[in-house]
Amino acid sequence: MSLAISAIKYVNEIKNGNLTAEEFISKTFERIKKIDDNLHAYLSLNDNAIEQARQIDKRIKAKENVGVCLGMPISIKDNICVKETKTTCGSKVLENFVAPYDATVITKLKAEDAIIIGKTNLDEFAMGLTTEFSAYGPSKNPWNAEYVPGGSSGGSAVSVSAQECIASLGSDTGGSVRNPASFCSIVGFKPTYGLVSRFGLISYSNSIEQIGPMTRTVEDNAFLLNIISGLDPNDNTTIDNKNVDYLSNIDAGVEGKKIGIISEMTKGIDKDVSSATNDAVSQFEKLGAKIDEISLEMVEYSVASYYTITATEAGSNLARYDNLRYGFDFDLEGYEFNSYITKARKNFGPEVTRRMILGGFVPSAGHAGKYFLKALKVKNKLTTEINEVFKKVDLLIAPTVPILPFKLGEKVDDPVALFLVDINTVTANLTGKPSISVPFQITNGLPIGIQILGKPMEDKLVLQAAHALEKTTNLPEVPI
Amino acid sequence: MVSKEEIERVAKLMRIEIDDHVVHVDRVQKMIEYFDILDKAGIETQELIVQEQKIENLREDKFIPYEDKLIDKLKNYKGTYIKAPKMV
Repeated sequence: MSLAISAIKYVNEIKNGNLTAEEFISKTFERIKKIDDNLHAYLSLNDNAIEQARQIDKRIKAKENVGVCLGMPISIKDNICVKETKTTCGSKVLENFVAPYDATVITKLKAEDAIIIGKTNLDEFAMGLTTEFSAYGPSKNPWNAEYVPGGSSGGSAVSVSAQECIASLGSDTGGSVRNPASFCSIVGFKPTYGLVSRFGLISYSNSIEQIGPMTRTVEDNAFLLNIISGLDPNDNTTIDNKNVDYLSNIDAGVEGKKIGIISEMTKGIDKDVSSATNDAVSQFEKLGAKIDEISLEMVEYSVASYYTITATEAGSNLARYDNLRYGFDFDLEGYEFNSYITKARKNFGPEVTRRMILGGFVPSAGHAGKYFLKALKVKNKLTTEINEVFKKVDLLIAPTVPILPFKLGEKVDDPVALFLVDINTVTANLTGKPSISVPFQITNGLPIGIQILGKPMEDKLVLQAAHALEKTTNLPEVPI
Repeated sequence: MVSKEEIERVAKLMRIEIDDHVVHVDRVQKMIEYFDILDKAGIETQELIVQEQKIENLREDKFIPYEDKLIDKLKNYKGTYIKAPKMV
């Protein structure tokens, strides 16, 4: 029995009686036990998963109604609340926090009989793009364990890529689903802002972040999006998607579609990434799409805008962590109020501390005009620019990340070098557009992903284009 | 250029103690310096777009009972209040 199967194949195998959920979950746990000490995809595992699988098998055998996931093992980034499960956000500040409720996406997955197999590693509070800022140590790239897996949903990407689950949910604030998907050769999708409820996602920068599926195939991504998308009264930013079926007609192709290649995201990039992007353009042309180069001038300023806005929102969102109502064990006795909170906040890691300071600084009196207001204006102008471009083209493409995966420790001490790794992904977040990373090439043993962006609520078209590109590839299995 | 003293002042206001200047102040200063690129964006005449949400589109403001008493799960909960350190 292979663990390297897609979600769609898993469902078919279970339906045909060729596989049981218990067998699959047991084998998955064996693999986790074998490889995860090294890769460190997981922060915690669900001890009841095998029993839950057994119960689902019983219901299938008794021909009872069973949800479409049929006991499929899905991992969840550890900033999404799963009831009665530790949700640490990769932080020592929340090391003992047990979520009292399920995030809406978890409620929906459970209703379809998915099994939450474990919680995955991330940069602390999702602030980072390598998992090196996790308080519990970094995850490693299964393609080469000396390299970063990307982040912040790095643990999720590793768990899917290394066959430690079938699919995962991550969150994407500036590329945190797409970047690790690209680095680990899996599919990662940031849906249109509002398509997926954020209720139960621990907030970092609410105005731009989205939960997104991370899967082995584009079809699997559409399968999961069918489950988790839609209106939620608990998240007022959610949009009614009229129950669009993202999986149906996924073979539609791109013939006759106009695709723009974003010039600011393809200049000055790594030569292997540039070559892969040119190959992807050729493939789209062969599939019948018309490619035009387009320009988005504000991309140059997008990273500064992104970090200014996210730091500001993080400064506000993380102000709640005073360790009084929840948090780690730290006795109140002997402390004055302010000194207690100051002391408690020393449990934040260095990157979170820096971004909180930034988040206090850039919107503060005397500095807001120079930083925060300008960042908002760049965001608005970028949105105007991209909306104008989308009047002429159906889709946009660019490499997901301008460079290849890099070695652990290589960039961790250079904040600006790390910022610039995000340059191709933040535009989709700042403008609310759907964007997917599709595995496209393996160069010198390291993966390269191609990013496809669409118009808001045209997530289905993005998935169709991604599926068309995916079918032109023939990538090797992860060498682990 | 933003001075280190300004950064330290904001950190203090945010109740963040800085013990390692290289790890915190120097890198924050480097980050803020990078943000100066925003000065070149040419967005002086750009309007700020504000998204409005009509009140009738918000969810109903009513109490929905929850299966568990969430307040019982909080740290330092003493039956009717949350215990906090004394304020001087």
